[in-house]
Amino acid sequence: MSVLARLVSLGDVDLLLHEARDERSRVRLRKLGFQLGELQGLEAARARLAAAVGPRWLAVYERARHRYGAGVATVRARVCQGCHVTLPTSAASRPETEAAPGLCECCGRVLFWG
Amino acid sequence: MTLGMVPSVLDPSLYIPELRTRNRQAVLADLVALAHRAGAVREPSLLIELLALRERLGGTALGKGVAMPHARSLTVIRPQVVVARSHAGIDWGAPDDLPATLVLLTLSPGDWSEEAHHGLLGRTAAVARLQRNRQRMLEAESFAEIAGVLRVVEA
Repeated sequence: MSVLARLVSLGDVDLLLHEARDERSRVRLRKLGFQLGELQGLEAARARLAAAVGPRWLAVYERARHRYGAGVATVRARVCQGCHVTLPTSAASRPETEAAPGLCECCGRVLFWG
Repeated sequence: MTLGMVPSVLDPSLYIPELRTRNRQAVLADLVALAHRAGAVREPSLLIELLALRERLGGTALGKGVAMPHARSLTVIRPQVVVARSHAGIDWGAPDDLPATLVLLTLSPGDWSEEAHHGLLGRTAAVARLQRNRQRMLEAESFAEIAGVLRVVEA
């Protein structure tokens, strides 16, 4: 699994963890009929992903997450969906590599191109 | 498929009239693969993992034969409800122990708010909660009939 895939998974698990920890959210989900149990399994999965990402990329991810609430942003039509800034064409043409996911030059989020 | 200018969360290509497997994890993989082929999802393996984590966090079966696995994920390109039926039923760990005959995989993009995601879940669950709607979806002979029942989800 590439660093980017791990970062995307980490972003998704953080979304789910936030939803599962937030009391209003838990109440809404239970009212809809869904069951929510203990968080240990999810927290363990998060810890495994964070370790697999490695300290350098984890620091990049956490910096953006603490600042904006999300460490990864999707890109649509060359626009970072985190800060809504149009990315330079050079960013679009730069190939993702196993070791170096792209970052938004404006907000610093990890970019997930679709 | 679109309704007016708004992209629809319902798509005839995202429908399995009769599931071949009765294993929950295999069903999730089949539904995500379908969504991937329709261009609604990228990196399907990551989404399957996330759905498995959600199932382990707590069951997504609503009871009365309905399961609503769901995710809000960066891998989801557009909101979508993937519809599948199993007349034999699938053990989904429902509170009433009834096997799931209707599976409604509900997907929201990662940049949607929790409220928007819960809104989509709520509208889908509200439709599935009515016995006459479940009956119509189980007896439907085409996706158009199912879309007719679920149309309120688009609101």
